[in-house]
Amino acid sequence: MSDLHWMTAVAAAKAIASRELSPVDLVKALLERIARLDPRLNAFIRVEAETALKEARAAEAEAAQGKLRGPLHGVPLGVKDIIDVTGLPTTCHSRVLADAAPATADAVCVTRLRAAGAIVMGKLSTHEFAIGGPSHDLPWPPARNPYNRDHHPGGSSSGSGVGLAAGFFPIALGTDTGGSVRNPASACAIVGLKPTYGLVSRRGVFPLSFTLDHVGPMTRTVADNAVMLGVLAAHDPLDPGSVPAPQSGYIKPLEQGVRGLRVGFVRHFHETDLPANPEVAAGLERVAQTFRSEGAEVIDVKLPPLEDFGAVNRAILQSEAWSIHADWLRERPGDYGRLARRRLMSGAFIGAGDYVLASRRRLQMIADVEAALREVDILLCASAMDPPCSIDDPEAIERTYMRQARTPFNVTGHPALAMAAGLSRDGLPVAVQFVGRYFDEATVLRVARAWERAGGTDTLHPSL
Amino acid sequence: MDEKTIEALVGRAGLEKALAQFPDDVTAAANTAERVADRVRASSATAIKPSSEPWPPMVVVRPMVRA
Repeated sequence: MSDLHWMTAVAAAKAIASRELSPVDLVKALLERIARLDPRLNAFIRVEAETALKEARAAEAEAAQGKLRGPLHGVPLGVKDIIDVTGLPTTCHSRVLADAAPATADAVCVTRLRAAGAIVMGKLSTHEFAIGGPSHDLPWPPARNPYNRDHHPGGSSSGSGVGLAAGFFPIALGTDTGGSVRNPASACAIVGLKPTYGLVSRRGVFPLSFTLDHVGPMTRTVADNAVMLGVLAAHDPLDPGSVPAPQSGYIKPLEQGVRGLRVGFVRHFHETDLPANPEVAAGLERVAQTFRSEGAEVIDVKLPPLEDFGAVNRAILQSEAWSIHADWLRERPGDYGRLARRRLMSGAFIGAGDYVLASRRRLQMIADVEAALREVDILLCASAMDPPCSIDDPEAIERTYMRQARTPFNVTGHPALAMAAGLSRDGLPVAVQFVGRYFDEATVLRVARAWERAGGTDTLHPSL
Repeated sequence: MDEKTIEALVGRAGLEKALAQFPDDVTAAANTAERVADRVRASSATAIKPSSEPWPPMVVVRPMVRA
């Protein structure tokens, strides 16, 4: 079996179940690839080679006996290093937690994926505490984009995006507070879903902002994302934000296409609010035109300006993050990298009145998005307004990093998925975002699959 | 945000060490917060009424299961 590193989770699980593929061979092939390529990409903070091989041998023995744990039996998994894995420190890519004690339990999301058969390959790079940005002043180097290692890979779930695009594992866990699953999905041409707030437990994940944090599946294909979400989605009575949502099947509707759907195109995000790079705008038009030609009705819809969403997101995020980091920032500010220190300290200067005001504006924004989604089945909009810029150019990072349309759906909690719209002339990913009604991830994934099939985005791989 | 205001807020927040070691970062953080708050207020000026509720709402929850 060739090209094991590009094998999807669905294909790998099927081949393992039928004993055409040994999970040991799969894990060995990926570990070899990681050893060869990751020193230039920095997706991993730590690789758990021996444990992964041990778990692969156990998975192989179980498969031989016809015992399959679940739909991800023997499938390798990467875990962002703000998520607890038993026996491993959760460093949050920060000097503050570089010597953290090993976690005594898996995060709920890891527990569920392991119960479904997934094998943890290691802990992945992130922006410091999921907020810092691509920084060069941390104990581990920043992850680099496999499409061009001189460019940033998005973040904060940077190692997850890089590892998927580089063929280090077929599934990964990310978290998303202001777009951190969808940013690396956009920059690395993979599929990143921020589910509805409350659908996936956050217990065992280091918090950034309690009312904005989401855990999300990251994959190379839409079908893998659907399988992963099906495993992750469950009520957790110990997570105060978790809700007992109706479990819907994510796999069955995937191939139903977009015929008959009403698609709301949020053009003002990329045309007037934050005018996009022409290649990004062209990519979005390509997606809209494809949907029209496949029988969807595409109409323009209007939401509040991106700047308003961004301000509400930052006022809430920075206030909640400050309440988490205040003691460390008071006592050991030098243990943070510059970007995280600046962003986390902002919350100290936001008054309680402004935090509550942002929370009140938030409810109106939720109502605005809900009103739009009563008229259409799905929203189509930009994710990033630019292809990823140079990772070594702080001014370019500063100029482009916040030019995005992901934060609105952290503010409102609607499910949102980012994936490739194509590649730029320079060979860098440009992205599209789909947003659905609460708990209607099935339609989000169905629309994403329609675009994946038409655009061939699942065949995009970097030359490494 | 002017220097005196920043110093006063730093004192209230207990960020004296950060101000001594990283004055540029503290100033940048304060100015970011001011811009964000200004924009939230501008965005809310005509939209928010006295009765406008925040999200998430205060809700009555069942006692949570203890680990």
